[in-house]
Amino acid sequence: MKRRDFVRNTSIGAIGVPFALNGIQMNTVLKKLFSYSKTAEDRVLVLIRLNGGNDGLNTIIPLDQYDNLVIQRNNIIIPQNQVISLGTNYLGMHPIMTGMADMFSNGKLSIIQNVGYEQQNRSHFKSMDIWTTGNVNSNSATGWLGRYFDSYNPNFPNGYPNANYPHPFAISMGYEVSTTCQGIVSNYSLAVQDPSNHTDLGTNISNPETSYYGTHLAFIESVINQSNEYGVHVADSVDAGNTLSTLYDPDNRLAMQLRSVAQMISGGLKTKVYILNVNGFDTHDGQVVQGDSTSGFHTSLLKTLSDAIHAFQDDLALLGIEERVLGMTFSEFGRQIASNASYGTDHGDAAPLFVFGSCIDAPIIGDNPEILDQVVNQKGIDVQYDFRDVYASILHDWFQTPESEVQAMFEHQVSLLPIARSCNGPAGLTDNLLEKTGTYCYPNPCKDATTIVFVSKSESVTLSIVDMNGRIVRNIFQKNLAQQEHHVVVSTNDLDAGNYFYVIEKPSGSIKGRFQKVDI
Amino acid sequence: MNTYTAKTPIPENEIGGGESLSMAPYTGPWTKAQAAHLLRRTVFGPSKQQIEDAVANGMNATVDTLLTLPAETLPVTYSPDEAVSSIGNTWINDYMPATNQQPTITARILSLFGWINQELFNPTLSIKEKMTLFWQNHFAATNDNEPRMAYDYVMLLRNSCLGNFRQLVKDMTINPQMLVFLNGTTNNKFSPNENYARELLELYTIGKGPQIADGDYTNYTEHDIAEIAKIMTGWIVENYLAESGSLVTSNFYDILHDPTTKQLSEKFNDAVIQDAGDAEYAQLIDIIFQQDEVARHICRKLYRWFVNYDLTPIVNSTIIEEMADVLIANDYEIEPVMDMLLRSEHFYDIALRGTIIKNPIEYATSMYKSTKSEMSYGVVSTYEIYNIFGFLTGDIGMSYFAPPQVAGWTAYYQQPGFSQMWINAAMIKKRVEYSWFALYNGVEATNGDKYPIDVLGLLNSFDFPADDIEVIRELEVLFCCKPLSAAQRTFLANTLNANFGSAVWAGAYNNYIADPSDQQNADIVANQMRVTLLNLFKMPEFHII
Repeated sequence: MKRRDFVRNTSIGAIGVPFALNGIQMNTVLKKLFSYSKTAEDRVLVLIRLNGGNDGLNTIIPLDQYDNLVIQRNNIIIPQNQVISLGTNYLGMHPIMTGMADMFSNGKLSIIQNVGYEQQNRSHFKSMDIWTTGNVNSNSATGWLGRYFDSYNPNFPNGYPNANYPHPFAISMGYEVSTTCQGIVSNYSLAVQDPSNHTDLGTNISNPETSYYGTHLAFIESVINQSNEYGVHVADSVDAGNTLSTLYDPDNRLAMQLRSVAQMISGGLKTKVYILNVNGFDTHDGQVVQGDSTSGFHTSLLKTLSDAIHAFQDDLALLGIEERVLGMTFSEFGRQIASNASYGTDHGDAAPLFVFGSCIDAPIIGDNPEILDQVVNQKGIDVQYDFRDVYASILHDWFQTPESEVQAMFEHQVSLLPIARSCNGPAGLTDNLLEKTGTYCYPNPCKDATTIVFVSKSESVTLSIVDMNGRIVRNIFQKNLAQQEHHVVVSTNDLDAGNYFYVIEKPSGSIKGRFQKVDI
Repeated sequence: MNTYTAKTPIPENEIGGGESLSMAPYTGPWTKAQAAHLLRRTVFGPSKQQIEDAVANGMNATVDTLLTLPAETLPVTYSPDEAVSSIGNTWINDYMPATNQQPTITARILSLFGWINQELFNPTLSIKEKMTLFWQNHFAATNDNEPRMAYDYVMLLRNSCLGNFRQLVKDMTINPQMLVFLNGTTNNKFSPNENYARELLELYTIGKGPQIADGDYTNYTEHDIAEIAKIMTGWIVENYLAESGSLVTSNFYDILHDPTTKQLSEKFNDAVIQDAGDAEYAQLIDIIFQQDEVARHICRKLYRWFVNYDLTPIVNSTIIEEMADVLIANDYEIEPVMDMLLRSEHFYDIALRGTIIKNPIEYATSMYKSTKSEMSYGVVSTYEIYNIFGFLTGDIGMSYFAPPQVAGWTAYYQQPGFSQMWINAAMIKKRVEYSWFALYNGVEATNGDKYPIDVLGLLNSFDFPADDIEVIRELEVLFCCKPLSAAQRTFLANTLNANFGSAVWAGAYNNYIADPSDQQNADIVANQMRVTLLNLFKMPEFHII
């Protein structure tokens, strides 16, 4: 069957979730409705950039096509029995990622499959540029978060910091500001070196000279520090903050940086975005160790990533700030389906990315990629979701930015995905969100059942299933519903295979959506 | 608001102190480090080629070249507001229009400003531009109203820059701009004005010593000032903004001159100046110049400009004395002093490397000139761009022709900070913004012609542009007066390759150079150069020469 058809026709809210969802607790999604932070003001987004192009196929392994994977990349493939089960038999996770697998089973990790953009550019520089600016076609002067910040800070940097915005909007952990935060005039991110490492960029570190030159360096250095009005707030928040998780490994640089992030958030820093980087994903050779594909460069990178995120999430929970933080990984491209002779992989196209937090909508968004039974030279994974739609959805769901404003930040026609809508909870819904929040059902295509998600006011609602000729084939219910988001599980096992509509009629506006019933 | 607190000067025994005090010719290694040091101190923004040529040619030949003054160019008209001259032609001999003079005044002042900023970019290796700015700082007279007078003033500085200092002081005394600026034109026998007399002694020639009694400044007294004011009477400026063909001139009128006999204090051996009309001022200056302290005073200023702010007792008693001796022995010719200084052991001592924080003009030109960023537009765009360049250096604290006070720019006299006066929280931000602007946009003319830093040209001029470590090494040689740390070099290399590693940078560069017309590949490489240069320009090391 063709899994790609619905990509182009994806309308707001209609996502594809693989039909074989056995074991995924659908009610875990409902639970997340009660674990959200009411105001967008408190919310923090953590971006983790995987520098070099992460091999998605060895990260999230499409088990339903394992035989073809063996044909494509036998010398690096993870042994099937070592893949971590995620409660379904059609995909699993790299064995080293026990921490993130744990988060997945607790409903705190969302895997979005096949994220990328059409006409992939396989240059590191160019593609990373595309991912950080959120612009595919033009040489963008701004980053996607820069445009977000610009949308409500037209005068930045003039008059900042101020009483309303006393803290840096974003922090880039490391020596560099982040391109994602480049605004029209200035960059919104402050580069903060790893606080546990006191080396300072500006001076000749080890032996400050007692010379005229050395005194000038020290002087200029001190003026630079003075001129950084944000610096004092960052330092204060580190002092005021706390660390409660024991899971951080001091040798794991990402973990220690995330530890600092948790500390800054718990210490009251109002920064909205933190950007972190992990280098080394460009695994052209030695991705795995010959003869032991569960070891090697890629494995240690995934371990770094998984352990760090796991410790971070644990810390956030212990600190009582879990609802305030959403995280996301991204990389400039995935890698080719077939491996090379050097036990590695070359630049590819789309790949899965992770979103993590206490109120993610769905554990898996998207299908397994299609793995052919023969090697096609240089072939990568096909795009299912445009990365810009992931960004747009996060801005919409997490930072509660109205859809029209989100659209203004992107060149293409934005298609919102349900990534973190649960974070806005039933009582947190505003009229604005009532209009904008989409309706969808999952799984689609479905076999035995599908869940229809929609929003209503406090009103009488009629739900029915209609065939392609417009005849009602099922009356599901007619009743009074409360003003909230509803998840209605509808049995479909006695429907003939084919296409149907679900129809929701209510005074606040009727909605119709299409779904497909399949037999196998 | 400047939140800078005064630097505590480190006692001379704790820093430096070990530097060579020898003015004998330098015989040590002559590598890029020494050559670049010489060039950074004598030229604005030396390029890689100039540094390499200096190494190849040797110290002596390079100093010879530096002390050669290239031919002059003329400021040309570029604004349609000019009423008399025409675009592309010089206005320096043109009269002013009879009415509605202001647009022409403005057009010519801007032409002059554009021209002098353009001169900073003269590719010929010469000390002329740094010497001119030195004299502009020393004789800090300003005028933004009579353009021909302003041209005449700056040409006096340029023509005399390595010449006879005594003669320069004489010429400056009756220079129309100076006469106007320090009220020489209103100093007459009926109401003397001491302004010029005071600055002549305090700033321009002998300098003020400690005040040892009422009105006694060791080197001269208040009485001397009063007498000198009388000596200077009788001079006025004519043809100011004149619509006739005559240039602005200074002329002497007996009727305004005080003919009484003037006598100076014992500081000048009680010298007497009889009534000699328009010849008196020159006689006076000869008398002042009989005091060797004049030589020391100007040598200290040259030392602070070219070597170091710190005039310790030992430097004063050795280096300054030797420089002054040479000046006096050569009848106050400046060139022999510079000749000795620029070839001396002292000048190349490593302890005196990196003693100066770049002034704004040095800062800005080092970004454009050292990268050999060039432009070739027509007159209008060229002059507009150099004007804006000049406004921008003014914005970061130093506008050519506009020293903020008669004593010059504070960085050259203000204790204890000296060149640290260029840096405060506001100015460091502006410097960073300026470097960002220069890299990503560039100065822009009205019609959109731009002058950005030519990052690709710079990269292509390197010996091994595909090697990120080599690129950083070349940037370090070009821009840093002392070595960076290994961590800093790694940081810059990782910036260049965006943490993708050396092989990826090499691939990107090779893709670009295989077809430089491919805009996408060129942009990738150019963007990485820009962000690397930005990081380098933000480092404290970049601000120091």
